[in-house]
Amino acid sequence: MKFKELIKKEKPFFGVSLSFVWQGLFFYLPLIFIILLSVIQLSTIPGYYKIGLANFLYFFNLSYINIILKSFGLALINCVLCFIVGFPIAYFLAFKAGRFRNLFLFLLILPFWTNFLLHVYAWFYVLEKAGFLSNLLLFFGFIKEPIGFLNSYWTILLVMMYCYLPFMVLPIYSVLERLNKNVLEASADLGASSLQTWFRITLPLSLSGLKSGFFLVFVPSFGEFAIPGLIGGDKYVFVGTVITQFILSNGSMNLGAAFTLISSIALIGLIIAMYLVGYKYIKNFGKIDD
Amino acid sequence: MIKIKNFLGNISLPLFVSLVFLFLYLPLVILIVFSFNDAPFPAPWTGFSLKWYHELMDSPEIWRSFYTSVVVGVSATFLSIMMTLSLIYYNLMGGKLKKLLLLFYGNILVPEIVLAVSLLCFLTFLSIPLGFLTLIISHTILCSGYVLPIVYGRFLSIDKSVIEASLDLGATMSNTFFKIVVPLLKPSLFAAGLLAFIISFDDFVLSFFCAGSDAQTLSLFIYSMIRSGVSPIVNALSTILLIFSSLLVMVFCYLNIKTKIF
Repeated sequence: MKFKELIKKEKPFFGVSLSFVWQGLFFYLPLIFIILLSVIQLSTIPGYYKIGLANFLYFFNLSYINIILKSFGLALINCVLCFIVGFPIAYFLAFKAGRFRNLFLFLLILPFWTNFLLHVYAWFYVLEKAGFLSNLLLFFGFIKEPIGFLNSYWTILLVMMYCYLPFMVLPIYSVLERLNKNVLEASADLGASSLQTWFRITLPLSLSGLKSGFFLVFVPSFGEFAIPGLIGGDKYVFVGTVITQFILSNGSMNLGAAFTLISSIALIGLIIAMYLVGYKYIKNFGKIDD
Repeated sequence: MIKIKNFLGNISLPLFVSLVFLFLYLPLVILIVFSFNDAPFPAPWTGFSLKWYHELMDSPEIWRSFYTSVVVGVSATFLSIMMTLSLIYYNLMGGKLKKLLLLFYGNILVPEIVLAVSLLCFLTFLSIPLGFLTLIISHTILCSGYVLPIVYGRFLSIDKSVIEASLDLGATMSNTFFKIVVPLLKPSLFAAGLLAFIISFDDFVLSFFCAGSDAQTLSLFIYSMIRSGVSPIVNALSTILLIFSSLLVMVFCYLNIKTKIF
């Protein structure tokens, strides 16, 4: 009873409603607003507008669909690369690093806490025509003349992988760290090769970390525009680039809003599709465990 | 033969990991080395000098954008921590928070560029001038998505009997909140605040859309510097920022709280 009296005595805390108002006003309302904006068509006469799907139809041609597919490809390859490079690191940190673990973790978190633009900038020094890589290859005689490595698709991927690697490693590491080591030993004792142990024990058990790592890498790299813009030099156009152009340069917000919406829907659809495919595949090889 | 195979098996993982760490840190090392070079980049190493650091200290533009970033970061951190504390107070009073918290998870799930575009359109529609205010609004939305789960997770792990004891001994609810709950949450508040500050400080996408023309954050400044070409002043700036972040990471590791988001 005393508890209830106390609650009555305290003044209602209106602060909590303020934070919900803030969240609603600056998060949910803008998201609804952009949907409204995308169906409005401005006409040449100011003050007159029509409601319709013409903004969406504008983007239903091959070049824009191609851009969405290209962004999908970029994000997917980036994820796979991050996984291939990141998994051994997470494994090493969780099981093999010993007393150097904290040092390695520190070295891994540090890039995550510094501005990614600085990393992109640092790569200029490696990839430029007079940069480190070109000079190194010259020194060993692989090439005769200095070459610049910028402005290529694979360089964009390299730098993106570099920037997103910690986002893949840390979730996998946090799952592997909690993994019972005895399970791995049991698998080895019962005669499984290390490859079999990896496929049937380690990988399925680290799946939850892999999922969140995948999400953390895939979603931002789908809409990435700064890295392709800086490294690829405006030659490669992705979803993020198109959105920026429509919103900031063209000044046609309605078209930009429509394209943002289309690409978000495409993103959600693609993620669901990939989960379904992945789930089917995992269910099949989970059966061996029974 | 088996010995060689075992040896290769033992050596391959550490070798791979050290190669990856080399890959991670080589560009940064080169960047730092060239910040001490006498001549600007395309020239090779000519001699040690601190002149780029002097130029960095003298540039008013960098300091202005640094000031903007710090002000925006501090206010976004402050606001998101205040939001979190008010929600926890509400929970203490018997409010059901668990389902309401789901309303805030969208902040990190929605791609940043979508959030940025919709905020920009919305704020222009309301004819709020782009600048400090819009930067703080957008960064607060992003930061609260990180601060809230961390602090709330810590709040759930607090022993509830401590709070009940305080109430039994005659403390009012707000007394309990300020004298018991907040001190217990202090390390997580500090860690979450640090994370929020660095996320706001390093944020590029939201600032790129919501900054307008008169408020320039440090990220935007670095972006425009890179666009206009390689300049050793950015190297000097990067070196300082790297030292700054490594100090923050050390404090964060010292607090020894894992950000449960990842």
